[in-house]
Amino acid sequence: MSERTEAILLLAATLLVGIGTAVITLTNDEGITIDAYVAAAVFLASFGGLLFALKTWASRATRLLLPPVALLTALGLIEVFRLDRDLGRLQRYWLLLAAAIAIGVLRLLHGRGVEVLRRFRYLFLAAAFVFLLSPLLPSGLPIGGATINGSRLWIQLELGQRTLSFQPGEAAKVLLVIFFASYLAERNRGLAEMPRSIGPIGLPEPRQLLPLLLAFGVSFAVLVYQRDLGASILLFGVFVVLLYAATDRPAYLIAGGLLIASGASAAQSVFSHVQVRVDAWLHPFDDFSGTGFQVAQGIFALGDAGLFGTGLGAGVPYLIPAAATDYIFVALVEETGLAGGFAILAAFGLLFAVGFGIAIRSGDTFRSLLALGLTVTLALQMTLILGGVLRLMPLTGITLPFVSYGGSSLLANFGILALLARISHEERV
Amino acid sequence: MSRAMRRIAAVSFGVLALLTVWLTFQQVVAGSTYGDDPRNLRAIPDPDDPRRGIITTADGVVVAEDRDGVRTYPEGSAYLHLVGYMTADASAGLESTRASDLRPLDDGSITSWLITLFGGSVEPPEVRLTVVDRIQQVAVEALDRHTGAVVAIHPATGAVLAYASSPTSDPNGLISGDLAVLEFRENPAALDRVAFRLLPSGSTFKTLIAAAALEQGLRPDTVLEDKTEFLAPGAGLPITNITGGTCTGGDEISLREALAVSCNTVFASLAVDMGGLVVNDIAERAGFNSILSFELGAAISSISTAEELDADLGALAQTGLGERDLRVTPLQMVILTAAFGNEGEMMNPYLVDAVLTRDGSTLQSTSPESLGLLIEPAVADDLVSMMIDVVTDGTGRAAARPDMDVAGKTGTAEGAGGPHSWFLALAPADNPTIAVVVVIEGEGTGGTVAAPIAARIIDAWFG
Repeated sequence: MSERTEAILLLAATLLVGIGTAVITLTNDEGITIDAYVAAAVFLASFGGLLFALKTWASRATRLLLPPVALLTALGLIEVFRLDRDLGRLQRYWLLLAAAIAIGVLRLLHGRGVEVLRRFRYLFLAAAFVFLLSPLLPSGLPIGGATINGSRLWIQLELGQRTLSFQPGEAAKVLLVIFFASYLAERNRGLAEMPRSIGPIGLPEPRQLLPLLLAFGVSFAVLVYQRDLGASILLFGVFVVLLYAATDRPAYLIAGGLLIASGASAAQSVFSHVQVRVDAWLHPFDDFSGTGFQVAQGIFALGDAGLFGTGLGAGVPYLIPAAATDYIFVALVEETGLAGGFAILAAFGLLFAVGFGIAIRSGDTFRSLLALGLTVTLALQMTLILGGVLRLMPLTGITLPFVSYGGSSLLANFGILALLARISHEERV
Repeated sequence: MSRAMRRIAAVSFGVLALLTVWLTFQQVVAGSTYGDDPRNLRAIPDPDDPRRGIITTADGVVVAEDRDGVRTYPEGSAYLHLVGYMTADASAGLESTRASDLRPLDDGSITSWLITLFGGSVEPPEVRLTVVDRIQQVAVEALDRHTGAVVAIHPATGAVLAYASSPTSDPNGLISGDLAVLEFRENPAALDRVAFRLLPSGSTFKTLIAAAALEQGLRPDTVLEDKTEFLAPGAGLPITNITGGTCTGGDEISLREALAVSCNTVFASLAVDMGGLVVNDIAERAGFNSILSFELGAAISSISTAEELDADLGALAQTGLGERDLRVTPLQMVILTAAFGNEGEMMNPYLVDAVLTRDGSTLQSTSPESLGLLIEPAVADDLVSMMIDVVTDGTGRAAARPDMDVAGKTGTAEGAGGPHSWFLALAPADNPTIAVVVVIEGEGTGGTVAAPIAARIIDAWFG
């Protein structure tokens, strides 16, 4: 893709944001408000800045990364504003900040390369633990932990009248992927040795399973102490996939799968919040006004959508609890129809294709594993939340990357975008 | 390493493809399964889009339409209980049950997109009734100033041909706001007497007793004892005949004659001889004591249990005459009447023939649904031949026609303000195309009040 095409696509996404926001205020009989201009301007500034940063510090990076992310971000910005004006405006600040962080990452890695990240891997690991544990800080302090929707994975910062909520687990997710990639790039040979085998499947020594068990323990602890099913599965899933990729040993996939299965069945019988999710998934209409309400409303919304949806601002997606976060995809499908849903899935498909392409082509083990880990993080997160809202699996509260409302999620995912671009740049040196 | 990565990528794309398929599947399934769920707020017609489709009769008369954005019922009170009404805060009848079928098609759905693509109309659809306006108007007119109901169905399919209840009221008054919905619901006109009025059936129930007797091996010409009175064992008061003496004047009577003249002593004694089990069984087979899946809902017609009947033979004798605790709706009676004329097979009554686009293509159509066999075809034939005698030589002579045989049965049920007059009819008797049930409350005997009205309905059908 030429630079020109990329610029045109970004401008098209900017127009989409402006027009989409205007359509929403128009449907609501408010006329075209300042929101349309501000949203378009913020979007243009963010992606224009990113485009410039890529051109300056990662000039050989693939040009296919930014357009799908721009489409997803644009749809998210429009629909979050449609669902909640305040959240929509807040999301614009988060977008600016996220773009700034991505630009900062590109600037920092300029000259030194992603290789420099390997040096700090234990620092990242420690930071990830601090982030993961920070929500357990007592609440009530100027900065303290908070329980929202039954999960303790937030820290809140009192800024005068406002309370700013932040989910540090999102940052931890990126730091852990960097750690996993650098750890496995070093140990992959040792971990790949399989002294014994059953048929074609090699069996590792018991001590080789230690890292796997450790990762499982940490993930399970996240589930127990923070009640965050989504993050727990995501962390462990990414680690297992990376371990398999680094060693090329299916035995790790099997062991990981067994651990997930046993962990899931244990969690299902021990933790009521997991049990509730499973019931709501299988029988949403049994407790319609209670635990099944969200899932049932999601089903109604999908059914009402049709091919082109009700039109932006013309549906009633706000009837679904957590529409701006967990159910953003269903809200978008209700108003833009099957067509909108396919567009989102296609954008993710392109993004993953590019991410996997970078991982496969990269000659260096660390860079390759890092690109793979980051891509799998996005893919797994998308699968968990879309599988949940479409009822392929129980719903786990997790954001849809780039689309859902959520500052921490946006920052972390734009960090992933910057890292992928940088690896792509280095791969073509 | 890259081999594993390629596999991981392949699995990711497999998942993406699965999500794409699953999204489509969920939309199609959820759209059709939950579109009418009462808990689904999205199923309620959009208040900002007042456009709704038209409702027409089988002979093309428009009975509900939008006129300048105002819902209008051109036939006024004639279709109140059938078509109902829809206002901003209340709805009833087919306007309520068919609300989603009446929505405009250009709703962004895949169906509407496909229709437009092939040049079809996406105007709000037409809901076409099975009811024939020509007959409906006669029924409404015949019921005028009476309290009662007329229902007619096609015996072979269950398609409802007329559905009238009196008193009635003009739903346009509800739309204009001249009538308040809450007050209207307290009004006697609000009651649908076809599906929701429960009355004793009177002697029309003797058709079921006769059917049970035929099943037990009796023949239409089987000779029975013609008694002046019948006292069931343990009962206080004996059952007597209208004539005061025996039904024939002699002391013998055939089953056929007994039905024709509606001989009380014969049927009371038959009910007691056959026992509670047999009497309860034939009624329950006809649909008593169970919920009928009718589009507008229906009250449950009821008969005492076999044990209750056997424990009180006096009650069993009176049940054989359609009295005591027996309660039926006209809808229940028309289902079994139609079955007699349909080789014994009961058909579920339905009101909507099809939903059509405005350019005439069919969106959905109703298929007749069997409710099962009430009696064997041979029994049904014998019973119909006996019911012909009711009209030619018996209590139902008011329904006789020169051009064809009509099968019928009168009923006169006890009522607080006077007897309730029933008439069941099938015409033509040898291969009926219409089954009619008429009930008029508190005005006289079945043969004098209800039978002439049934005759007018049959005239309209063949006229």
